[in-house]
Amino acid sequence: MPRHLFFDTPEAFLQELRAQLAAGVPRRRLQAHLPFHLHEAEALLIGRPSRLRYFAMIGALLGFGGGFLLAMLTSLDWPIITGGKPIVSVPPFLLIGYLMTILIGSLSSFIGFLWLARLPSAKTLVTDRPFDSRFVLAIDDEDAS
Amino acid sequence: MNNNIPVPQVETDVLAAMSRPGYAWLTGFGLAGLLFVGALALWAYQIQHGMGVAGIMHPVGWGVYIANFVFWVGIAHSGTLISAVLYIFRARFRTSFNRSAEAMTIFALMVAGLFPLIHLGRVWRFYYLFPYPNQRQLWVNFRSPLVWDVFAVSTYFMVSLVFFYVGLMPDLAIVARHRGGWAGRLYRVLSLGWSGSLREWRHYDRLYMFLAAFATPLVASVHSIVSWDFAVSIIPGWHTTIFAPYFVAGAIFSGTAMVLTLVIPMRRVLHLEHLISIDHIESIAKILLLTSLIVGFSYIVEHGMAFYGNNLFEMEQFRFRAMGHYSLLFWIMITCNAILPLLLFVQRLRRNLIFLFVLGLLVNVGMWLERFVIVVCSLARDFDPYNWGNYSPSLVEIGITVGSFGLFFAAFLVFVKTLPVLSITELKER
Repeated sequence: MPRHLFFDTPEAFLQELRAQLAAGVPRRRLQAHLPFHLHEAEALLIGRPSRLRYFAMIGALLGFGGGFLLAMLTSLDWPIITGGKPIVSVPPFLLIGYLMTILIGSLSSFIGFLWLARLPSAKTLVTDRPFDSRFVLAIDDEDAS
Repeated sequence: MNNNIPVPQVETDVLAAMSRPGYAWLTGFGLAGLLFVGALALWAYQIQHGMGVAGIMHPVGWGVYIANFVFWVGIAHSGTLISAVLYIFRARFRTSFNRSAEAMTIFALMVAGLFPLIHLGRVWRFYYLFPYPNQRQLWVNFRSPLVWDVFAVSTYFMVSLVFFYVGLMPDLAIVARHRGGWAGRLYRVLSLGWSGSLREWRHYDRLYMFLAAFATPLVASVHSIVSWDFAVSIIPGWHTTIFAPYFVAGAIFSGTAMVLTLVIPMRRVLHLEHLISIDHIESIAKILLLTSLIVGFSYIVEHGMAFYGNNLFEMEQFRFRAMGHYSLLFWIMITCNAILPLLLFVQRLRRNLIFLFVLGLLVNVGMWLERFVIVVCSLARDFDPYNWGNYSPSLVEIGITVGSFGLFFAAFLVFVKTLPVLSITELKER
């Protein structure tokens, strides 16, 4: 069973975290639960940026291409001239592409977040472990043996 | 300012607002609900008897329904400004308003989305607006601003909803901790089992930033696209390049006024005075002043262009607005939107809550009238005098308009009692 240390302030939590790392405790044996995000804790324990950016970028690009193609291909499918505009009217179709960039980019970021953060978390839902208002550092001592 | 409050105190203070509703809440909710039910009945009446029961007819085919649509989409805007743009700029005062402003965005968009449907007449054909494969092999006309509108407003609604929900996730887990029984379990499920692990937080932090970045351009684009419903036509008074920035400024202006209208009483009734400080309200008042100046400047430019240009129809349109059948509404609009907000240059008034509340109401009256003046005046006096005609809304239209405010306020009152009205997590961080 991991040992749980509780802290009321981020300063005390970070001090202990630094002390544990300085004492040679490997990162994989340390788990943190926080009431709000601490960039420093992330830098100390993980040290690499979140991969969420790929989801945002791929979603945004797919949204842009998909939106533009939707407008273009449906117009070509029934090529009727309205308002004297060309069948493939680039400026308004870009607008659809722009809006779909935002929509699909946002949705794919959200889905990517759920995937990367392992949510919904069945473990938390079943075990009823509350979201603590304190800073918690869990140290897995058993791993040392 | 809030750093002295012990951490759990923030939680109890904010969650205290979610206690069992009192008489004031029940009365407000009952009244707002009644207005909404009345509007539904009137809509049913309109569906049964046809669009003849509305005042819109030739030449004014767009009346208060379209004015309401533009008004409510505008109200939504300041929510995104406060939640996304101010987040990116790291404005600390946003924490006092972002949750209620985001909720306001969602509800305003829900109300706004109803009006094109009400205006459609045959509402059961609403899905014709979307591009979907059908037996007639017909697609929507992507060159039409009305289709851009469908995409813009539905994108805006979905992105705002995701943003609102993501902001709520940690707070829902906090509510779950404080509540027992089925309510606690429900909040826990809604929080998706949020535990506050570092893994969750680090991706959450990035997600919030990305969503803010995605939502920020929407602040400028959604109401620009709404303005193109008008500007892309050739009707005098509508066909102008200033419309997009002018509409965006007006949208943020009216939305900010609505934030003040909602937050000032909410702060008092829910005893949140120490969490929503006067300094923060003053910052919102400054946004109101800035956007009022932009709106006032736009009025001058709009009229200046009409009179400096050599277009007879454009000149006549702007003369008609200021001196014609609707001149009273026009001058109320100018007074509420461009003159009264100038009082905000006085610091004492920027910090006077009663003044701000009353000003917020007046600005919303002014902004609603602006939508009305823009929509109706141009149609009532276009090119050919043979084609001129005045419009006044019918009782059905007025009832549905009043009912839309009922829906908005009822939804906001439900929000106040079911979700934390301030972001507890961000308050702790502050």
